[in-house]
Amino acid sequence: MPTAPFVERRVESHLEIHLRPALFIPELRSKKKSSVLEEMVAHLAKHQIARQAEPVLETLRQREALGSTGVGKGIAIPHARSTMVVERAVLLARSVKGVEFEALDENPVHLFFLIVAPPTDKDPIYLQMLAQIVKSVRLAPARRKILEAPDFATIRTLIGAQLADE
Amino acid sequence: MNSQLLALVALQDLDLMIREAKDPERANQEEELGFEIKGVEKLEKTRERLAKQIDERLLQTYERMARRFTRVVVPVEGRVCLGCFMGLPTAAKRNAEPRTIENCENCGRILYRL
Repeated sequence: MPTAPFVERRVESHLEIHLRPALFIPELRSKKKSSVLEEMVAHLAKHQIARQAEPVLETLRQREALGSTGVGKGIAIPHARSTMVVERAVLLARSVKGVEFEALDENPVHLFFLIVAPPTDKDPIYLQMLAQIVKSVRLAPARRKILEAPDFATIRTLIGAQLADE
Repeated sequence: MNSQLLALVALQDLDLMIREAKDPERANQEEELGFEIKGVEKLEKTRERLAKQIDERLLQTYERMARRFTRVVVPVEGRVCLGCFMGLPTAAKRNAEPRTIENCENCGRILYRL
């Protein structure tokens, strides 16, 4: 008896599951580190991810005091757990002109992946998401394509493809 | 929200960050991903400053409870303490004035309402 062809479907990564169109800022208005964090946290508050913006912003500022989350090559991954965060979320934001973010290589940052989570969030998923972001933007062509992508759906597909390639 | 409660929330978040930064395994994982973990002393100084802004008795309560619970300051959602997930008496909400600090009658955690 013929059997149906087996089609292997890739399980979506934690990162892809958390990338939501509502949490995407196609072009940041802010040009400075402090105001960029403010703009992104305001977006989280608008979408009820942050119960209050200011405490979440303060926690992110403290994380930056620990060491810049601008990991270089135009990428920053600000991240923190805060009591005022309702659920784990990833906000993706772009800046074509770039933002001075005190990155490790001192280059302007063009792509921001902001990760927030409540204090109760389980470590493995939080850290896996950090690792998946690093992996998805490791290659220069991938970073360029994400920056030039016309919409969020394209970016999500590009990130999925990068993660599937490994 | 009560300013003392806001300061406690900031303290709790800072404590978690310091704890993780001081955990060699956790810090190593972040460093391997390319993040810098170098300003722990700076965070500890910020914590000292922040703690001075909090009423002494409230701070003592927080410190005592922090030895028992990972999260001392927790939200209330639908009359449920999100620390122990027990229901709070309806009278608790009526009595909760913005300037007072409210504790869960079951677990004792410090509650915040929005």
